[in-house]
Amino acid sequence: MLENFKIDSNEIDKIKHINNDDKNFRIENLNLFNNTGFPGKKEEDWKFSDTRAIFSKNFGKLSLGNSNSKETDIKLIKDFDHNYMFLVNGKLIKSDFKFEDKSKIKISNYHEEKFSEKKSENPFICLNHALSNSGYYLEIKEGYKFEKVLVIYNLFTKDLSNQILNNKNKIVVKKNSELHTINYTINRSKNKFINNSYDNTILFENSKYKNICIQADKSDGYFHRFSNNKLKSDSNFSSFIFSSGLKFYKQDINVDLEGENSECDIKAALFLDNDEHQEIKTKINHLVPNCKSYQKIKNVLDSEGKGIYQGKIYVKDIAQKTNAYQLSKALLLDDNSEFNSKPELEIYADDVKCSHGSTSGSIDENSIHYLMTRGLTKKEAIQLLINGFLNEIVSEIKSSSIRKFVENKIELQIHGY
Amino acid sequence: MKNQSINTNQEYKYGFTTDIENIRAPKGLNENSIKFISKMKKEPQWMLDWRLKAYSRLKNLKEPNWQKPKYPKINYQDLYYYSAPKSASNKPKSLDEVDPKLLETYKKLGIPLNEQKKLAGVAVDAVFDSVSVATTYKEELTKKGIIFCSISEAIQKHPDLVKKYIGSVIPITDHYFATLNSAVFTDGSFVYIPPNVRCPMELSTYFRINASETGQFERTLIIADKGSYVSYLEGCTAPMRDENQLHAANVELIALDDAEIKYSTVQNWYPGDKDGVGGIYNFVTKRGACRGKNSKISWTQVETGSAITWKYPSCILQGDNSVGEFYSIAITNNHQKADTGTKMIHLGKNTKSKIISKGISAGKADNTYRGLVDISRKAKNSRNYTQCDSLLMGNKCGAHTVPYIKNKNSSSTVEHEATTSKINEEQLYYCNQRGLNQEEAVSLIVNGFCKEVLQQLPMEFAVEAQKLVGISLEGSVG
Repeated sequence: MLENFKIDSNEIDKIKHINNDDKNFRIENLNLFNNTGFPGKKEEDWKFSDTRAIFSKNFGKLSLGNSNSKETDIKLIKDFDHNYMFLVNGKLIKSDFKFEDKSKIKISNYHEEKFSEKKSENPFICLNHALSNSGYYLEIKEGYKFEKVLVIYNLFTKDLSNQILNNKNKIVVKKNSELHTINYTINRSKNKFINNSYDNTILFENSKYKNICIQADKSDGYFHRFSNNKLKSDSNFSSFIFSSGLKFYKQDINVDLEGENSECDIKAALFLDNDEHQEIKTKINHLVPNCKSYQKIKNVLDSEGKGIYQGKIYVKDIAQKTNAYQLSKALLLDDNSEFNSKPELEIYADDVKCSHGSTSGSIDENSIHYLMTRGLTKKEAIQLLINGFLNEIVSEIKSSSIRKFVENKIELQIHGY
Repeated sequence: MKNQSINTNQEYKYGFTTDIENIRAPKGLNENSIKFISKMKKEPQWMLDWRLKAYSRLKNLKEPNWQKPKYPKINYQDLYYYSAPKSASNKPKSLDEVDPKLLETYKKLGIPLNEQKKLAGVAVDAVFDSVSVATTYKEELTKKGIIFCSISEAIQKHPDLVKKYIGSVIPITDHYFATLNSAVFTDGSFVYIPPNVRCPMELSTYFRINASETGQFERTLIIADKGSYVSYLEGCTAPMRDENQLHAANVELIALDDAEIKYSTVQNWYPGDKDGVGGIYNFVTKRGACRGKNSKISWTQVETGSAITWKYPSCILQGDNSVGEFYSIAITNNHQKADTGTKMIHLGKNTKSKIISKGISAGKADNTYRGLVDISRKAKNSRNYTQCDSLLMGNKCGAHTVPYIKNKNSSSTVEHEATTSKINEEQLYYCNQRGLNQEEAVSLIVNGFCKEVLQQLPMEFAVEAQKLVGISLEGSVG
């Protein structure tokens, strides 16, 4: 059934306020998606995340989601002061920048301006291009540094079931500005649904953008997120990814280091169990000299948890003095868990420092034994070691109140072990 | 000093052709040419049937296209699938009867076939184009019960062994080039080491592609029975030629309980000229199966030649406690391309594998390491260690690493690391200061970079390989 999932082109007619260019762009992309359907393991990029099989196993039917839900009540995080934005099923409902100079911030619903983007080979992106009808546009004007963090509450409502949502967002940080966001996902639906999002980020000269992805609790969501990040000179992008709690999550992160001395950091600490499947795919393109990139991905996998890391570093021939690093580590707690990685280097410049490492294995028996001689039970010892393993990433969050908040979330997950 | 220009690349040292009349199969790939090959080889019916089965499967297969180095489409109908030196029709009984021109060729290559044979202590099964011409040291090997002959001879004299093992590691249903080889293979080596025998010498075959427009399809089958040991050397040089030549060999290794096979390759086929014209396409399938408990297979390769090298010598670790090793140096210069690596498939308990790969690219070359480490659910307590280092010389070349790592088992450990860098200026400067010129310095540093792999080679090979490493990179730094 879902193997031949196709979407009728009259769905595009239902999207309001679109001009001709937009419509043609959408139809073209819809055809691209309909030609392939959800990608399966025969496609190289989907080797480890066979969405065709996963979706057809879990979804009997699938319809296009509607994002006009009336549910809008969200409990704010009390642990630290923050600005916020409410998204309900991807749609921007409300925003509050009470700690900031509002004249420096532009916020609106997402609106596409140009449709000349290159054709994508990723069917999810094609699908998103064709059908996305909600999302936000956020711009920080020149020379403004955010005082407090911005939490983007991403609420998925109860009534979602066997639906697919498509949304598109864009963040622009202008020259000499700084922004720090937390993507906080709250899922109220007890049913299965798919969220397919496309995030565009542009960082102008000497700007900084920090982002943390985390969710409130476990859910039956199947998410795909493509994020496209362009970095101008001296800009700095840093992203923290914590376990999604979703059944399936593929994060596809593309970073173009376009300006000299730009830097990008991607760090992840994931604890996956109960058949959870999470993939992080990155492509870091070093296009100019003197850029740095750093990736560190840590996975703890239990009872049929499946962690995947596909990281690629591309260094163009002119990108001399590049410094790129990639590390993925996994702890396997259970024989039914699985870790697959494909850390890839594609290098055309000679004066570079590029390295990657990937390890996977079990928890060191000696360490467990040591902790047990100190009076811990085996379970406590294992929990402590897992915590220590993941804490290496968490401890790099600078703000202590946010770090505490994240630590608590992760501890809750590990406690279930 | 640093910018001093260095004389252009040394001409291909082994570029010469020998004029010997050839017997050729009619051009083209079809049932008739397969029947012709089989007839020329005086093969039994089952062998012909096997070939034809492979051919019928081949018709439904497509050439793979995922590899990094792309190549112009090969017209398989425009190749000769069989070519044999004429003097082989009435096989010489001793070396004196061998065509003197052949012997001369071997002498130029430095193959210890004639008077050097005792000195070097190497038994040689030399393949000139496609037919084994002479085999030495047979007596000593026969005494121990070791079978070392051409595969055509083995098909006739030891059909049971061949029938049992051929295609058991690389089935005829494998990928395009392996299946092509199964259909049209012309000759190659066959080795059988009986139980509890340690082969007293390094067995070696020198391949040489000679006749123009001849695809070379070797088939090698090595079986190490329980508790035995063998070390096998394969070295290649080819004459200078303009046309691209396809080489699609299949090598199958089988190690039974407690057996060990060490397979070393030095590949120095014609890489094409400075502008990337000509050169050999080296599309080889090499696979070893550690069938028995405590068995071990070790691949060592030094790949300096060929326009395109595309191969992944692999180990299937079926037996408990079995060990797979892969040591590789791949050097690409000018327009050469290499896409090479290994697959380590862990199936048995306590299996271990180790991968050391050194890639060096210079000029406009592209060098890719592509490998798979797959630890299955049942392979408890398995271990893998992988190290891939790349060295780049200049910003016109590329170095790529594409490892696939799968771990499905909580008691197993997989470690992978890779680095990419260039030759350290300080080291170069230091060497220059001590009186070495630029080329000598590069050769010294690169040899140091490759040391871990070179150490794995048997003595005679190591010397040749070290020289090759230096020669291959001449003219690349300046």
